[in-house]
Amino acid sequence: MTQAEIKLCSLLLQEHFGEIVEKIGTYLIRTGTQPLRMIVNDTGLSLDQVKKALCVLIQHNLVTYQLQKRGFVEYEAQCKRVLRILRYPRYIYTAKTLYNDTGELIVEELLLNGKMTMSAVVRKVADRLTETMEDGKTMDYADVSSTFVRLADTHFVQRCPLVPEAAETPEVPPPPAPTLVINEKDMYAVPKLNLVGKGKRRRSCDEDENHEHKAKKHKKDGEDAEPPPDDGIYWQVNIDRFHQHFRDQGIVSAVANRMDQTSSEIVRTMLRMSEVTTSSSAPYTQPLSSNEIFRSLPAGYNIVKQVLDQYLTLLADDPLEFVGKSGDSGGGMYTVNLHKALASLATATLESIVEERFGSRCARIFRLLLRKKHLEQKQVEDFAMIPAKEAKDMLYKMLSENFVSLQEIPKTPDHAPSRTFYLYTVNILSSARMLLHRCYKSVANLIERRQYETKENKRLLEKSQRVEAILASMQATGAEDVQLQEIEEMITAPERQQLENLKRNVNKIDASENQVDETIFVLESFIESTLKKP
Amino acid sequence: MAGSGRGRGRAAFTFNIEAIGFAKGASLPEVVCKPPPLFPSTDNKPVPLKTGEGEDYMLALKQDLRGTMKKMPYFLAVEEDREAIERYSKKYLEIEKERAAWTPDWRRLPREMKPSKKTKKAGTKPKKAKSSELKSNLDVLKKIEELEKKDEEEEKSEDEKDKTKDKEGEDDEEAEEPEEYDEEEHEEENDYISSYFEDGDDFGAGSDDNMDEATY
Repeated sequence: MTQAEIKLCSLLLQEHFGEIVEKIGTYLIRTGTQPLRMIVNDTGLSLDQVKKALCVLIQHNLVTYQLQKRGFVEYEAQCKRVLRILRYPRYIYTAKTLYNDTGELIVEELLLNGKMTMSAVVRKVADRLTETMEDGKTMDYADVSSTFVRLADTHFVQRCPLVPEAAETPEVPPPPAPTLVINEKDMYAVPKLNLVGKGKRRRSCDEDENHEHKAKKHKKDGEDAEPPPDDGIYWQVNIDRFHQHFRDQGIVSAVANRMDQTSSEIVRTMLRMSEVTTSSSAPYTQPLSSNEIFRSLPAGYNIVKQVLDQYLTLLADDPLEFVGKSGDSGGGMYTVNLHKALASLATATLESIVEERFGSRCARIFRLLLRKKHLEQKQVEDFAMIPAKEAKDMLYKMLSENFVSLQEIPKTPDHAPSRTFYLYTVNILSSARMLLHRCYKSVANLIERRQYETKENKRLLEKSQRVEAILASMQATGAEDVQLQEIEEMITAPERQQLENLKRNVNKIDASENQVDETIFVLESFIESTLKKP
Repeated sequence: MAGSGRGRGRAAFTFNIEAIGFAKGASLPEVVCKPPPLFPSTDNKPVPLKTGEGEDYMLALKQDLRGTMKKMPYFLAVEEDREAIERYSKKYLEIEKERAAWTPDWRRLPREMKPSKKTKKAGTKPKKAKSSELKSNLDVLKKIEELEKKDEEEEKSEDEKDKTKDKEGEDDEEAEEPEEYDEEEHEEENDYISSYFEDGDDFGAGSDDNMDEATY
């Protein structure tokens, strides 16, 4: 793990889980797999605190444990998973676009709690939706359940690995840690539940609660007299499926930008048909025949079969090679080249970064090098049609920032500089890695700056919160406008201006974090696609 | 050949300088003497951020998520000791905290994670303290009885005394050896057996210079 990643992970953990969890999470990321007593010794926290923090981290799938052969348990942090916290808003927003408010709340609850049983999720989401509805209306559990089932069918939520059925004899003591297993087939199987009920508002007192001993001891919902029917079956968000969706979105919008709306719809159809048949790390989708594509086009698009064939031929001939032709049966077999598409997206990102950072002439040199692979200094000047001095200056600027690298080709075995060719080249993979590292640093800097801004104005923020609370309570008890105005004037005009500035800055920084995360996603997907899986 | 000799005060390189684009005899750029500035001025300003409904919604989601996670039971904050002023709301805040506490599913976690034994120990600590206090009181009473017995037996016969002493000595010596030493050490030169007289807490320790108040 690079220093930038570790710093970013520690900032994310601190913002979302507090200092204790941050300390332990950072320690585990930095030092790798450790048993419990080492963590307690090295972090200096109390055993109780370490245990609580580890429970929280395991609950949120940020730390996994493994039973070693010697009989003790070791804990390992998942650095990549911690970095995903940055992307939570994007997951929730995607769920909203696909499955409306119900889907959005289901995904949000699952992300906030790490893992939950289906009955708990349904109950919480129904309550939340009921809060927002008009008086008298409630949300039925059945609606929420059906949305949940749809999310499971499209693989957006998946089951967590289960505790194995313990059929132990009394002589064998239970192992120090359960080994969780999950069957591929069961990963998306929804248990047969009969969830009947409606969402409850917090204000109303329900007779149902009295039956379940709740009124007495302020117990939570989960501690009913009897365990729920799906006890032990926990669900979590399937992050890979969301990533697959983002990747598809990226490819479709790229095709739309390069060609036109219809071709992007065709590619979208092809990707939709391959959603469940192709694994997320496959280099290309399963071949689809032109007839199948024609049948699966959305109802609104009534294009003739011939036009579809023309579009497909055009897509297959495109130099970017998003779509490839793999055969002629069935009217032509076409696949989407996923890895090539990811490489094109990453390259486009690189080009745009060079353009924005150094100017359009540098971008021209960069694109030239991408196309021609290796060029000498003189050739660069000639092909790019840029005067020698400026070309030299630009090349060295890019070289110093590691966007471009030098390849030495010696003419003689002694590598004498006067008798060596020096060729400029762009290595996409290493440039992508370098930029990814820079993105992590940027996000860490943004978060630090945001925290600094908030801390500087802490006093003012607290004052404004108090004033708002007073205003709200006065409005609730019915106060005159004059009194309300008096309270509002407690915050002076320059203070109001300061608050406005603060709000604007914090919003800008947050929006920047979201957008840097989009770049992180493109670069990470590309780098992952180049790794050879065993 | 370049660099064949000391070029009369001029810089000479081991390679052909034309290869990197400097014309022969042209001035080289100046040498850099200090590290580059921390915040260099950029000629190209960054592109403005994307705006749109989706981006605004995601921004609101992000800020909401941050606020919500701070209130969840998973957020373990370092507890600050603010005992300065007893606040009335403290009573209710603690109830809220208890209500919001979260217990994980212990079946899914390694057994060492479960703090139940620890909390039981913490709960029994005051009990243990009480029981140890009780025991110490009992011990003192036992000691008094045994010493009384000893004195009576000394009057009776030495043989019995020896036997019982041996018996009791085996039991009591282990328990009373430290105490006997203590008693012998603290023995004052008078006939009073110090174990009969239990010192109050203030005996000897508190200086009674300002004994204006009468003790009862």
